[in-house]
Amino acid sequence: MSERDQGVKNPSRRALLRGGLAGGGAALMAGLTAGKSIAAGDPAITDIQDWNRYLGDGVDAAPYGMPSEFEADVVRRNVAWLTADTTSSINFTPLHALDGIITPNGVCFERHHGGVAEVDPMQHRLMIHGLVEQPLVFTMQDLMRFPRQNHAYFLECAANSGMEWRGAQLNGCQFTHGMVHNVVYTGVPLRALLEEAGVKTDGKWLLAEGADAAAMTRSIPMEKVLDDCLVAFKMNGEALRPEQGYPVRLVVPGWEGNMWVKWLRRLEVGDKPWHQREETSKYTDLLANGKARRFTWVMDVKSVITSPSPQAPITHGKGRTVVTGLAWSGNGTIKDVDVTLDGGRNWHKARIDGPSLSKSLHRFYYEFDWDGSELFLQSRAIDELGNVQPTKDALRAARGENSIYHNNGIQTWYVRADGVTENVEIS
Amino acid sequence: MLKFPKSVLLATAAIAFSGGSVLASGDIDAGEKVFKKCMACHMVGDGAKHRVGPELNDVFGRVAGSLDDFKYSPAMKEAGAGGLVWGADTLATYLHKPKDMIPKTKMAFAGLKKEADIENVLAYLASFSAGADMDTAEPESTPTAEETAEQTAPTPALQNADYEPSTGPMGLGRVALPEEIAAWDIDIRPDGMGLPAGKGTVAEGEVVFTERCATCHGDFGEGRDRWPVLAGGQDTLTDERPEKTIGSYWPYLSTVYDYVRRAMPFGDARSLTNDEVYAITAYLLYLNDIVTDEAFELNSENFTDIHLPNEENFIADDRQEEPHWKADADPCMTDCKAEPAKITMRARVLDVTPDSDEGEGGGQVD
Repeated sequence: MSERDQGVKNPSRRALLRGGLAGGGAALMAGLTAGKSIAAGDPAITDIQDWNRYLGDGVDAAPYGMPSEFEADVVRRNVAWLTADTTSSINFTPLHALDGIITPNGVCFERHHGGVAEVDPMQHRLMIHGLVEQPLVFTMQDLMRFPRQNHAYFLECAANSGMEWRGAQLNGCQFTHGMVHNVVYTGVPLRALLEEAGVKTDGKWLLAEGADAAAMTRSIPMEKVLDDCLVAFKMNGEALRPEQGYPVRLVVPGWEGNMWVKWLRRLEVGDKPWHQREETSKYTDLLANGKARRFTWVMDVKSVITSPSPQAPITHGKGRTVVTGLAWSGNGTIKDVDVTLDGGRNWHKARIDGPSLSKSLHRFYYEFDWDGSELFLQSRAIDELGNVQPTKDALRAARGENSIYHNNGIQTWYVRADGVTENVEIS
Repeated sequence: MLKFPKSVLLATAAIAFSGGSVLASGDIDAGEKVFKKCMACHMVGDGAKHRVGPELNDVFGRVAGSLDDFKYSPAMKEAGAGGLVWGADTLATYLHKPKDMIPKTKMAFAGLKKEADIENVLAYLASFSAGADMDTAEPESTPTAEETAEQTAPTPALQNADYEPSTGPMGLGRVALPEEIAAWDIDIRPDGMGLPAGKGTVAEGEVVFTERCATCHGDFGEGRDRWPVLAGGQDTLTDERPEKTIGSYWPYLSTVYDYVRRAMPFGDARSLTNDEVYAITAYLLYLNDIVTDEAFELNSENFTDIHLPNEENFIADDRQEEPHWKADADPCMTDCKAEPAKITMRARVLDVTPDSDEGEGGGQVD
């Protein structure tokens, strides 16, 4: 634990950011190319390494395995000035250091409103009541006796990229886009639980409530509830992490993360929405004219280049270069991702690799020969409905700068000739 | 995480304060959980700083109100001047009902009802206090086989057979009792559904608010540090920096009652009576100039007559009407811009990224 804590303070990333090739990246390259080393051969080969001679740990050294100590910098980070207190705050997924489409459980971003509830599963109950034929109580054991399903879904906080409405602010896609994660959920359809209770004909809305100290609540329309919502108890094959709602959470595919109520304990069926705090005071989108949109549930089509990015600069110099990133849409699958190197004058089709699943992150790559000149990198996603990810300027023109939520604008990374990468806005 | 490992605590010579027995019976690990109730305002351990309340390292043996760099209530300073020193006994008394011991303390916490919670949290705090009675940390005896079995054996699952079983298609779960639904069903809708019987005046609300809410929200709902501002901000929604408060932004009063009752005070949820919530809600109306009479009483009868000023300014999700969504689904690929891109803004200018020489940026998380 302490090793990982210290890893957060590891200055290498800042050195890279600040000094570019004069920092860690240059040191690495120097080690490989310095004349002396070439004459003697690469010591990584010619020297016998400790791990090649001495025995390592046996089994059971880590009954629950952790990443290599060399990956200690790959951790969630928060932005301390954003909130008053860490018990009602958010941290961010280290997207710049991940690949593929699945987010490892330990680095899925966290957002709590009353800290992490530590719920004893044996003392946990899920109640369904309201406009139902019979109000019911389920134990965890009861829930696990319903037929289960497995689905990979992205969960994105509606406020992801919310700090960027007024312009480029945070240097790192972890901070600009890290309120998203993507895991495989195991759970039972919410529909099955409601069928067990029997929804009355005037039951049009569902209130979901958590067991935490915020007793988080959201109103969800019945069409969505019956469509694809899950009551999930596993993520990526293991029990939900406490910070993700152990022992059971709601999964609301493609819709804003705040609705995915964690530590789910109560479902009330009603004929109207409840207008709870998180759907009135918060998670409503103030427009320039003073009106505010409410019930803006769907997460729009969005993408970001995760590498290169400010925390993952180019350290190898010119030549073969891999651009990679993530794309997603609350409307379904991603049809196309385009990448530009010149700030949107010319676009190239990126290659989507790995599973293309509805309402799941998609991984894209664009490989090219970098000539060492400065780049303005952007990605642009198009979803299965043909929605094209808009520019930030288009969003500002339509909404103003005080919406906080649902900023899915195109992100620009400026790559300098030395490989250092910055968050910028361009003309 | 503990400042003094348990083994060190055991070995160190004790400076005995009275009330060692209270500490001796406490469980440090259980105390760490109890301390979560305190964490919104207090820090303890490495790097602990003052927050709403003072940091609690070495609180055992500390004269009450004695830290120079923390702004105590005058009452707390007086108590210290009068000889109050924090130890197991004095802290136990204080934590049971803070305002019984120091009526004008600014600590908004109502108190710990359970003796075991007090013992445990004191054991936890003592582990960060060099001056605590070292009887605190009992040697951890090896549990007997029976104890181990007790700890590891699952609590028997709820016996559905003891209740009326579900008659649904799966026959899973059991029928919820009316008492159980009543215990959990605390939500309130704008039409008044869910409102409990009760009442409270503005004047009563001011007292409760000052005691329970003002440490974070400020005496007049102006918000301290980054805690939410609750009042003011009328006519700012089209400004460059809107102030979204109950009076300026929230559409429904029911949300205020519902949220205060379910989640406030932060870290001590569900501790207010229904009447207190009515009173606080009435006071918030007063702070927002929606009622102007301090004698005004809000109750379950007149609640739905009150409308918040911004109710009509909420609209349905019409994002799909925005011009950029009507753009060609086959967007431009080549020669899309006449001029080369130029940088118009750089994040590094603000330099608010964590791990940098960090300043504070703008914006909210929600």
